[in-house]
Amino acid sequence: MDQDLSVMILTWEFPPRIIGGISAHVYNLSRSLAAHGVRVYVVTCDFPGAASHETLDGVEVFRVDSYKNPSPDFATWVYLMNVNMQKEAAALVRSLDGKIDIIHAHDWLVATAAIGLKHVFRRPLFATIHSTETGRRNGIHLDYERMIQETEAWLTYEAWKVICCSGYMISHVQWAFGLPPDKLVMVPNGVDHETYSKYEKENLSQFRSRFALPEEKIVLFVGRLVYEKGVHVLVNAAPKVLDRVNAKFIIVGNGYMKDQLSGLVKGMGLTNKVIFTGFVDDDTLRRLQICANVSVVPSLFEPFGIVALEAMAARSPVVVSDIGGLSEIVEHDVSGVKVYASNPDSLAWGIIKVLTDDGYANWIRTNAYKKIQEKYDWNRIAQQTKTIYRNVLNDYSKSFWAHRMS
Amino acid sequence: MRVIILSWEYPPRIVGQLANHVKKLASQLVKNSVEVYVVTYHEFSTGGHDDSDGVKTIRVTNPVHTHIGVLTWVLTLNQEVERAAADIYYNVDGHVDLIDIHDWHFIPAAVTLKKAMDIPFIYSVDSLEEHRSRGANYPFNMAIKSIEWLGTYEAKGLIVKSEWMRNEVARLYGVPAEKIKIISPDSGKWIEDILATYMDTAEGESPGWTKI
Repeated sequence: MDQDLSVMILTWEFPPRIIGGISAHVYNLSRSLAAHGVRVYVVTCDFPGAASHETLDGVEVFRVDSYKNPSPDFATWVYLMNVNMQKEAAALVRSLDGKIDIIHAHDWLVATAAIGLKHVFRRPLFATIHSTETGRRNGIHLDYERMIQETEAWLTYEAWKVICCSGYMISHVQWAFGLPPDKLVMVPNGVDHETYSKYEKENLSQFRSRFALPEEKIVLFVGRLVYEKGVHVLVNAAPKVLDRVNAKFIIVGNGYMKDQLSGLVKGMGLTNKVIFTGFVDDDTLRRLQICANVSVVPSLFEPFGIVALEAMAARSPVVVSDIGGLSEIVEHDVSGVKVYASNPDSLAWGIIKVLTDDGYANWIRTNAYKKIQEKYDWNRIAQQTKTIYRNVLNDYSKSFWAHRMS
Repeated sequence: MRVIILSWEYPPRIVGQLANHVKKLASQLVKNSVEVYVVTYHEFSTGGHDDSDGVKTIRVTNPVHTHIGVLTWVLTLNQEVERAAADIYYNVDGHVDLIDIHDWHFIPAAVTLKKAMDIPFIYSVDSLEEHRSRGANYPFNMAIKSIEWLGTYEAKGLIVKSEWMRNEVARLYGVPAEKIKIISPDSGKWIEDILATYMDTAEGESPGWTKI
């Protein structure tokens, strides 16, 4: 029967196009679903050098023209890109004789395409809400932001089920859009711990020496350099840590705060201790995560915090802000250290604790690795998602939409 | 013959001269035995209504209330237009012969409906962004022009009101002249020409086509 289940997933990013966490999430979700016998069609934005159609780990991937004229602003670009995405997705569904059971959208970035397709083909719509405008901006202040928030609300209204990756996000989304509780369902994000095992046999000391001296401990941050990620908190904690431990702070990622942050580091006279690598390739990133003596996630807002899971899969001890999804992933003193958000003193305390007590660091990273194998395994998550698809299709089969179709 | 007309203005909501033109067109078509649905926008009044002239109107509103400009407003309204058109389509078991869109606003909806349901559409050009913006070419104008281009490309045919406009459409968007039909609303056989064009366009494209 599983062969009869097919889903069209809409996402604005899919490897090799990687902007935030949605890309890795959709990649892992779709190939795990495919491994469980679900036919998966991913429709996403094009990327230089990537094929417009390919089969990847059993997933049919279609990359559409993502509107390349200059755009007035980001949101307008999103809506314009959705025109193309909807057009191509509609043609694809028709070419499959309508054999798509479910449309699954990821965030407001594909809202308009997904909502139109739902009505035109009369299929149940799923929405995974990874993040909200009010969360990203810490409130709604401008018409531009309100427009995005209303688009998010519209997507959740049109969706049959709204999936969130953490208990925190469930309550946040329920509050932000006033949704009935039975519309929301929690499916955790996963991490592929096997991607890290292939580096285990490597001798990484030469790789490590590209970033730090042997006597320096590595403090690693991975993420977009934007306000909500709290990189500025880490930079402000750096001198406090360096008072106690000889360390190198490695900051991986890009974002609009990059100039501001490197200016701050320069002003502190710490350019030899805090380095910005920019965006790095997967191999470099995974090796860095394995080499890190501590991985820090100092976010001010974090719906889930997949980067913490990745660090745990790489067997690096983690220090995280006690907020959002991070609070649920990490158990304090068991699988990591939780510190106050937006508090450099608290963050420095957590980092120092891990870097000065090897026994403690080993204890938390061993427990963390066990935890991710149990709870955040993609096979389990695909199974869970499939069950939710099946339940909704069962409800749908009793609706007048389903009767019209047959 | 069954036709869905998409227009962003329709009486009683009158913005420019397009509203009354579309109203006249729709009621004349009904008099000539065409089943006409008009899907349009209204800020407050929504839903379906059988007008006294025989035109079936469906008014949708924008689910996103706050906007930063007409472009984002249009691009979130198209999905409601698609919903309304899809409801018509399923209610008549897919027997829709043709969609006629007036100006650029609902081109995205017409294109999706064409791709999804194989309903051909006519793009009736009242005005173009090139002339409305007096040559301005900011990203905002470019976006509207790209939508107009999409309409000319995906449409089965275009209807314009003057030879000047046919030349402009051909010049700006590289549309072959034979794809563009000039039908002046002032001519004595206006509605006959419209009907003939509708039938040529619908012919062979839709299983629900019936001769008038």
